[in-house]
Amino acid sequence: MARIIVVTSGKGGVGKTTSSAAIGIGLALKGHKVVLIDFDIGLRNLDLIMGCERRVVYDFVNVINGEATLNQALIKDKRVSSLSILPASQTRDKDALNKENVGKVLDDLAKRFDYIICDSPAGIEAGAMMALYYADEAIVTTNPEVSSVRDSDRILGMLASRSRRAELGLEPIKEHLLLTRYSPKRVEEGEMLSVEDVEDILAIPLLGVIPESQAVLKASNAGEPVILDTESDAGKAYQDVIDRLLGETVEFRFLVAEKKGILSRLFGG
Amino acid sequence: MAEASIEFKGSSFTLSVLHLKTSTLSDFRDDLKKKVAQAPDFFYLVPIVVDIERVDSSIDYQAVKLLVEEFKFTFVGFTGNVPKAQRKLIRALGFSFVNSANSAVSRTKKVQASTKAVKADEEIVAKVKQTQIIPQVSLFTDKIHRGQIRSGQQIYAKDQNLVIIGSVSAGAEVIADGNIHVYGSLRGRAIAGAKGHHQAQIYCQNLEAELVSINGNYWLSESMEQHWNSPAYIHLSDTELVSSKLI
Repeated sequence: MARIIVVTSGKGGVGKTTSSAAIGIGLALKGHKVVLIDFDIGLRNLDLIMGCERRVVYDFVNVINGEATLNQALIKDKRVSSLSILPASQTRDKDALNKENVGKVLDDLAKRFDYIICDSPAGIEAGAMMALYYADEAIVTTNPEVSSVRDSDRILGMLASRSRRAELGLEPIKEHLLLTRYSPKRVEEGEMLSVEDVEDILAIPLLGVIPESQAVLKASNAGEPVILDTESDAGKAYQDVIDRLLGETVEFRFLVAEKKGILSRLFGG
Repeated sequence: MAEASIEFKGSSFTLSVLHLKTSTLSDFRDDLKKKVAQAPDFFYLVPIVVDIERVDSSIDYQAVKLLVEEFKFTFVGFTGNVPKAQRKLIRALGFSFVNSANSAVSRTKKVQASTKAVKADEEIVAKVKQTQIIPQVSLFTDKIHRGQIRSGQQIYAKDQNLVIIGSVSAGAEVIADGNIHVYGSLRGRAIAGAKGHHQAQIYCQNLEAELVSINGNYWLSESMEQHWNSPAYIHLSDTELVSSKLI
């Protein structure tokens, strides 16, 4: 049975698409069959992050409307063969999706893949609701600042009340907290909420903490998900996230600021 | 010292008294409905005292109050020649007990009047009489919620106390006609005694609320400094909110 995981946040710009891409590739590298779906109809981004924007012919909306088959629309990743991408439409808007048809597409995908990762649009409107409706699990992406935390809290409320699982009275969606753009130095200086603060407010299990990193922007622009940059802190932190998603217990890293040694200070490390 | 902005003086008013002859509320309602239908304008917003001398002491006082209010009376309180314990119970439930001048119950009460609204008058009477805190007797049942109340969510415990085993997030709202207990952090809004219950209280393990309100009196965060970030409960003393350390 495929696991449907929605990557959501409420607030925009916190790293949903970056995280979706990293998690998709990470799971595929572990040998699982994974499909990444971009639910951000009208603001197509996932294809850019994945570096497959030039290969988009048909999209999610074409499949929904029966204008293309899944096989035509799915883009196979060139790096990891067990990963496919279902891109969003750039020319349509979020009303192009409806529950019934999205359900059918997900059913079809569930037959072929182990993991269905839904990259949600920001906000709490129809598009975001559609992305989370069929989810079994949710990765709530949050930045360590108050407005992001509050929006995540709102989305958690929606997960508990507006999803298919909630409507049918099934076991609730399994919630994970993914803290992104975390800067231990700024936490120490009191400029940023700490992991503990965010955990205390949201009260859901922590899946990962991704440190603020130059590598993320570089990776996004290059269309190479940051998890492939195994040298970077962010890449390593996403690797830990994958292990935790697969049920392993991994210690959290990058939670304290690095003390700069005399040499790195001299050479501007 | 400047002259006080308020002054208490005694004054007498004529109040209508509704004598209850049955403990069966549906019968009471039917009869009241017929009566009001005869002259709706006459009864509109008329202050009314309900005499409960002839009915069972276990009557649902809150329901009686709501019933007379449903027909647009202004409910003032209860009266009648009843045992002291029952009067005490009525008061503990948050209702005024009015001693009629011609009832033999008590002639010692001197403060029987006020300045403007009769309702306000009754509150002040209750206040002045209330020299010690009455042990709280609550007939409300509990509505229990397990888990967080998230931002944007709203929970209302109608005619009940509300117990939350979890935290109330900023941007969430919890409302109860009775008390509110939060076994976690209270970061959102809590409104207790929503239908007018003077004795309602708000308890929480960690006070970080945006707003607390009891019986219409409210505080914003800035008024909660004293017990901010610590276990506290909030109650009404007269018409002022007071916060106290929980343990």
